[in-house]
Amino acid sequence: MSTKLEVKNVSYEYSPNTPFAASALTDVSCAFEAGMITGLIGHTGSGKSTLVQMLNGLLRPVSGQILLDGRDIWENPKQLSRVRYRVGLVFQYPEYQLFEETVSADIAYGPKNMGLDGAEIDARVREAAEFVGLEADLLDKSPFELSGGQKRRVAIAGILAMRPEVLVLDEPAAGLDPIGRETIFDAVRAYQQAREATVIIVSHSMEDMAKYAERLVVMSESRVILAGTPDEIFRRADLLCSIGLDVPQITRTMMRLSELGLPCRTDIFTIEAAKEEILRLWGKERENA
Amino acid sequence: MLKDITLGQYFPGNSILHRLDPRVKIVLTVLYIVALFLAKSMLSFVFILCVTVLLVLLSRINLRVILKGMKPILFIMVFTMILNLFFTRGEGEPLVHVAFVRIYREGITTAVYMLVRIVCLLAGTSILLTYTTSPITLTDGIEQLLAPLSVLHVPVHEFAMMMTIALRFIPTLIEETDKIMSAQKARGADFTSGSLLHRVRALIPILIPLFVSAFRRADELAIAMECRCYRGGAGRTRMNRLHMHIRDYGALVCMVLFGAGIVVLNIYTSRIGYGL
Ligand SMILES: Nc1ncnc2c1ncn2[C@@H]1O[C@H](COP(=O)(O)OP(=O)(O)O)[C@@H](O)[C@H]1O
Ligand SMILES: [Mg+2]
Repeated sequence: MSTKLEVKNVSYEYSPNTPFAASALTDVSCAFEAGMITGLIGHTGSGKSTLVQMLNGLLRPVSGQILLDGRDIWENPKQLSRVRYRVGLVFQYPEYQLFEETVSADIAYGPKNMGLDGAEIDARVREAAEFVGLEADLLDKSPFELSGGQKRRVAIAGILAMRPEVLVLDEPAAGLDPIGRETIFDAVRAYQQAREATVIIVSHSMEDMAKYAERLVVMSESRVILAGTPDEIFRRADLLCSIGLDVPQITRTMMRLSELGLPCRTDIFTIEAAKEEILRLWGKERENA
Repeated sequence: MLKDITLGQYFPGNSILHRLDPRVKIVLTVLYIVALFLAKSMLSFVFILCVTVLLVLLSRINLRVILKGMKPILFIMVFTMILNLFFTRGEGEPLVHVAFVRIYREGITTAVYMLVRIVCLLAGTSILLTYTTSPITLTDGIEQLLAPLSVLHVPVHEFAMMMTIALRFIPTLIEETDKIMSAQKARGADFTSGSLLHRVRALIPILIPLFVSAFRRADELAIAMECRCYRGGAGRTRMNRLHMHIRDYGALVCMVLFGAGIVVLNIYTSRIGYGL
């Protein structure tokens, strides 16, 4: 297992030297493993969006380093655009940045900036649209005619078409219905598996994180306070609650069952695992009876 | 970042200037500007500088912030100074005479006066108005000052409402522009290099989403206002009425004295023949 992207002692402040100066990151360090989906969770205002904008060089750390494959991305600021193609960042509510006349032209904006030739761009647009499940007949429509969920998928396809090695998404499922959420997360996972990409997802939903993330990084008040596997993180329910987060509902259910005296495990955070555990308990009860 | 532009921004605070009545502050600003343009002599400019420094101190706003707010117009300042320096013709011998360049004593003084005037104009008006008055209070003040005009069927309330909305949305739109710019940069947009045409073209991916979202916001706001039965100014009452306090009258008196002071200084210096 190797580290793809590393954040080393990074600090950042908005509007320095004004009355509005606000420290958004304080000595943040964390590492993102190659080929894994890492979830970044934290209360609103904890600095998640600030951190992800550091990862592709949109914001420059006041101090500290961002290492991509072991090299500081600010080593040569002229090469930053190269970094931005390698680390694809999908902003929160990305549907508000669509501007082209057709969906396919909008998806092609990134690849075009990369200087690819027409055939290659075409192939990438098709591939990206397929990842996010956009039907081919939508490609010639205006992006402004689409539904909210479809627009969101077009915007994500616009990043996927650049074939980034690292895909970063800031709350990609915010404001979508359950099916919309699932479509997006499935698309992200499909891309990760097809390209062996490293994925970083900012999210508020512990359920989604339990389902998709292989690693979690927890932020609170501009610091990273925990990092590890979902197992290790969701076991710290008290700490999570104290910083305004939660554990998945199903974990809470299992904890409650255990409080009620049932000998069940509480380190469970997907419905499937819970089902197995409950069936196991039930089977034991029947044996005893 | 665009957000760091401080000119025209409001800095919340509780200084005496923050607490003055907005109507008074608008009148003060007008008087202050008139006084600035009345000033003609060295002494009066020194006097203006002192008063402006006093205003800065009274507002309790960091001097660095105020200076930073002037950065956008630094170019205009330098340009004005250079024009005045080289193109003012004086009476005596030029101080410097190289080829076609002639600099007179009058040129130097005019250039310096111009600089003081611009700096004070910006610092004074922004401290009196924008830095220390919230946009909402400011438009309230304007509405009340202009209220007599409604007799002449001038739509004062509608005008004030338009201003309130515009001011309210400036920061939002700036923030939005910042966000859209970052998002397009993440897709490889480049706004800083290439030919002029290239740079203008690079703005399209920013302007289109910005307009789309501005129209969407306008729509949403109109619906929200309608839902709350907004029908314009007739018969509207207000929760916070403006009241004049002693400090407001005091401020007016001070400003009139300031204007008078400048006129007196002008006359005095022209008497002793130390004009320019
Ligand atoms: N553009 C900005 N200007 C000034 N302060 C900001 C800006 N963006 C975020 N902040 C501040 O930085 C902190 C972290 O914000 P952010 O990274 O957006 O948190 P999150 O994404 O976790 O909600 C917050 O306190 C927020 O108010
Ligand atoms: Mg955020």
